[in-house]
Amino acid sequence: MSKQEFIESGILESHLMGLTSEEEQEQVAEMMLSDRELSEYVTELEDDIKRYFAEGAVAPPEAVREIILLRSIREKKGRSSYDSGQTTDTAQYLNVEVNDTHMKVHKLWRPAFIAVFVLSKIFLIAGLYFYFKSVAQQEEIEKIKTEMQLNGK
Amino acid sequence: MNELERAGNGVNGQALSKPKTLTSLEVYDLYGSMAYGIILQILPQVHLAQEVLVSVFSSPQLQSCNSYPFTFAACVIKLARAKAVEAKRKLTALAPIGEHTSGDASPQSIFDLAFRQGFTPEEVAGKLNISKSEVLRSFHEFFKSYRNV
Repeated sequence: MSKQEFIESGILESHLMGLTSEEEQEQVAEMMLSDRELSEYVTELEDDIKRYFAEGAVAPPEAVREIILLRSIREKKGRSSYDSGQTTDTAQYLNVEVNDTHMKVHKLWRPAFIAVFVLSKIFLIAGLYFYFKSVAQQEEIEKIKTEMQLNGK
Repeated sequence: MNELERAGNGVNGQALSKPKTLTSLEVYDLYGSMAYGIILQILPQVHLAQEVLVSVFSSPQLQSCNSYPFTFAACVIKLARAKAVEAKRKLTALAPIGEHTSGDASPQSIFDLAFRQGFTPEEVAGKLNISKSEVLRSFHEFFKSYRNV
């Protein structure tokens, strides 16, 4: 296949767009290594393809950049701790500022709180019961005392 | 070898116009909007397109662009298309879309089928009853006509 036929075959365009098979990729590599002019043509073609797709560019939302930034930081930290063979506590976590008023406690605190609540209710009821009982007894004693005084007279 | 793996493997040879090794974020700043445009052409659902965009620039395959023999732009185009086509295939597997039956074999139509709709050159050739070499030639014609506009 001559150089011109190779250019017109469209293999180069397909290759740059990721549409070629392995065999075609090897063919492109061989042709480019053997021909400097072809390499220059590919550079121009790349510019054309880039220009074509750049015309259809759409600005993504800012949040996407933030997510990519966070992921790259996480990856970098993971990689550096892996490379150094150290797993320090700080290297495992991202420093994220949390604006939250909630706290987490051990799940055993739940039955403990329920038991304290139930016991407090029992003591409150018992306290009220004995208070009113003592008041009633006091009144009964006063009444008996009054009756005894009246009978004595 | 799937399309993503193919996107990561270029030909062996010297870099043609590679200035330096770039980080994911630097590549995103340069080609993020181009990649997003490509993804939206293949996958018009905005939320899915944004997810694919993140996956393109968080992908370890993006780092292989540093050793890719062509420019970052070409590597990003390949990777963005491959990821978007992969997501589109997953989506159409859940809710299949209608087949392309126009039979139009113009370079524009062939380019749309192969690049935007994610068909391989062999599949496009089969759909339009033409040879694979004619499909590839149409890509050349498509960019040739673009250059001459």
